[in-house]
Amino acid sequence: MKVEQALRLLPSLEAMAPLRSLLLSVSRTDERTRWASAGHYLTVGKRSVEADDLRERLDALLGQITAHLRGLYRTVVEAIEAHGRGDAPAAIAALRRAGGLEERAGRFRQAEAWYEVALELAVELSDRSAELDLLRVRGALTRTLGRYSEAARHCQRSLALAEAEFNEGAVIDACEELGNINRAMGEWDGARAWYERGLSLNGTLGVRTGWLLLRLGDLARGRGDVEAAADLIGRAREHMEAGGDSAGMAQTLSAMGQVHVAQGHLTAASAAYREALAWARHGPEPANLEVDIRIRLADLALESGRWMEAESDLRQAEQSALAHGLAHRLVEIYTLLGRLSGRGGEETGFVFFEQALELCRALELDELLMADVCVAYGQFHGALGNIDSSRAYLERAGETYQERAQVGGVERVHAELSRLAVAV
Amino acid sequence: MTTSPESRPVEAVKPVPVGGGASRKLRILGVGGEVAPASQLRRWASELDVEFEWSPDVPQAVRLLADERWSAVLAVFGDRPDEELSWWADTLRVANITQHLIAVADRPSMGLALRAERLGVADLLTRPVRRDAFQAALRRIASETETAYPFPIVQSHAVGPYALVGESPVMLEVYKLLARVAGTTVTVLLQGESGTGKEVIARAVHLSGPRAAKPFVAVNCAAIPENLLESELFGHEKGAFTGAVARKIGRFQQATGGTLFLDEVADLSLTLQAKILRAVQEREIERLGGGEAIPVDVRLIAATNRDLRAATDSGRFREDLYYRLAVMIIELPRLVDRGDDLVLLAAYFANHLAERYGKRITAMSHRVLDVLRSRPWTGNVRELRNVIERMVVVARHEMLSVEDLPPDLRGEDRVPADRTRGDLLTLAEAEARHIARVLSQTGGQVGSTAEILGIHRNTLTRKIREYGL
Repeated sequence: MKVEQALRLLPSLEAMAPLRSLLLSVSRTDERTRWASAGHYLTVGKRSVEADDLRERLDALLGQITAHLRGLYRTVVEAIEAHGRGDAPAAIAALRRAGGLEERAGRFRQAEAWYEVALELAVELSDRSAELDLLRVRGALTRTLGRYSEAARHCQRSLALAEAEFNEGAVIDACEELGNINRAMGEWDGARAWYERGLSLNGTLGVRTGWLLLRLGDLARGRGDVEAAADLIGRAREHMEAGGDSAGMAQTLSAMGQVHVAQGHLTAASAAYREALAWARHGPEPANLEVDIRIRLADLALESGRWMEAESDLRQAEQSALAHGLAHRLVEIYTLLGRLSGRGGEETGFVFFEQALELCRALELDELLMADVCVAYGQFHGALGNIDSSRAYLERAGETYQERAQVGGVERVHAELSRLAVAV
Repeated sequence: MTTSPESRPVEAVKPVPVGGGASRKLRILGVGGEVAPASQLRRWASELDVEFEWSPDVPQAVRLLADERWSAVLAVFGDRPDEELSWWADTLRVANITQHLIAVADRPSMGLALRAERLGVADLLTRPVRRDAFQAALRRIASETETAYPFPIVQSHAVGPYALVGESPVMLEVYKLLARVAGTTVTVLLQGESGTGKEVIARAVHLSGPRAAKPFVAVNCAAIPENLLESELFGHEKGAFTGAVARKIGRFQQATGGTLFLDEVADLSLTLQAKILRAVQEREIERLGGGEAIPVDVRLIAATNRDLRAATDSGRFREDLYYRLAVMIIELPRLVDRGDDLVLLAAYFANHLAERYGKRITAMSHRVLDVLRSRPWTGNVRELRNVIERMVVVARHEMLSVEDLPPDLRGEDRVPADRTRGDLLTLAEAEARHIARVLSQTGGQVGSTAEILGIHRNTLTRKIREYGL
């Protein structure tokens, strides 16, 4: 049975979410499908799933769910016990741990609920360290959920507390997170100011300095200041390398690859990405990083006209995302596959964008991601001469960017619409 | 490719240089942990006039690989040999760094050996590496010299952006049928395995008919999500459903006056089959969300890689639609049944793609030809084209050689000529290899693999576990 047919049998219930993920990860494509004329346009919905494969893995899946619930229940018992003996910090720590468990399982809204309960207890303590820590993690989580103004409020409170407590480490954490929030909102000057403030306090803290330099370098690249970006990322690399931070090295090299792309040094970019892949294998969450880097490699190949290589990298990224339960990453992958088809003038490439949009809806992903897909879909239609559809998708993206105060996104859509008007 | 058992006696012979002289000296880059002192490996390599460099970690190695040209990489695996093998094979292939990988592992399992073979690894050595095994691996790499098979001159018949290539008797039958439908507007059903060229023939039918000047519109019924296929075929009005952001003209209407090619027609749902039948019979369609009947005049050509007759028997395909589509049936042959068309097609693709990539390719080696001839070609001509394109992209010379083959095909070339009795396979090894090959063909599907092998899936699962596949 095709995945798209199987998914239709699953009602949209929270309890079914793990089964939905399993269904995607055990889906397969056989040699025959691969070479069929539809093989080139294969998306996860068209892969096959066998009931036997699902059945074989059900016990393991239920084991994971049980272990997760056991972890949560135990932390509640610990929290009750600690609270009963008047040890509020221990109760808060247990609840925070539960939030962390949910966050690692990708259950962000549930994690938020745990942090909220923990925070209610923490505000009553005279020692503010737990409160400022919880405010920061809530800020970061709310940013992940796309609620930037709220995220900024949590982090501002965390920063104020950290300064009052003279907790320099927490001040740096808050500055970095505020930088991340500003960056996510497209407020690049604000982001730079926060990162620089964090850096000014950081002195010689090694890897932490590396991360802040990396973020500043990434910002500089985004603003087109390639030389500054190369310098900052180069310095970040020294700190990451000295600190032996594999994930940091992978991300730094990946960022350096993007700088090389901006400089037009495509071979150097490719080498940097490949080296990043090597480092990513040793860091935490290697699959996520691998998918990230492969997407960049594919983007590079796409821009260099090496379409076959781009498709190969994207298919590997797709395989990795499916195998490691990272279905949300498929959205970017299919968007790029759609762009690839568009370059070749293949009208049927629309199936990739439709699949990406379908995943955004099914997995309830951030609307901004959906807006990004709509921009690419609009460009795809524009290139094929479907002006009405192109305009409709661009306008839809523009509305989302507007609602979420995404200045960069709004500008991008305006530019695309103007280009479209000229073409007409 | 062979493993190097500890028990093999050390060769007490004077090493013969294999490096190829100053102009083409073999250069090997060693990466990873301690396998034998680097200076010792360098000495053993220099005895064969081979240059050997050592890099203690992967990131540094990746930098060296990007900066310089290497003949082979000797990778020392740690505690995750399977992952490391995949990573190295993948990295060397994608980055087009070198085609040769020598792997070194502690007590390599049979599963690892099989995977290494499948991935085209030149040799798998056991740690600690011994002089004879190391030098044998270098000799094997150096010995891969190949002789040229010049491409023949190919007569092709252009069909739009495609071409008809082939002179085999089975293709002559196809051409005869094509000639019979030329000049008519009869509905044609093309049947054949994936990649046999159904769309090319469909275009040829269109171009040889009276509607040649009108549009040829192709719809791939298997690629499009079921819920969107109806709107793709018949069009929709703005707001007809979520996602209908603008009015859309359907493919039926786009093809008016010309030909509508329904590829993978067996994938249509019964509901849609009924709607297509009505459109064909009444020569009009309705857009989704619109009440207006729109007249359409199209010639239908359908294609499928399945047995459509059998699908009607089982009720998965409407019989009335089948008879509408199968007025004339053209069966397309599998590539393996087309004899020397394989060479003509390979030559045609190589010439055509070399031009696109700005290269000059005039021949392939006899060994490449042997590999191509021994393939089952599940994906037929499409798979062949894909393989040739990959080869042309990585080729550095005018002759396509084994080192240009994709890794999964390179493994098939590895039949060591110097296999001694000690290297012969045990029954278990042969069984494991065969299972691995079938698994690779079915894309790892246990059910299909068990069916092909004729054993129960539980038995297969046990064997997969047992052999570490």
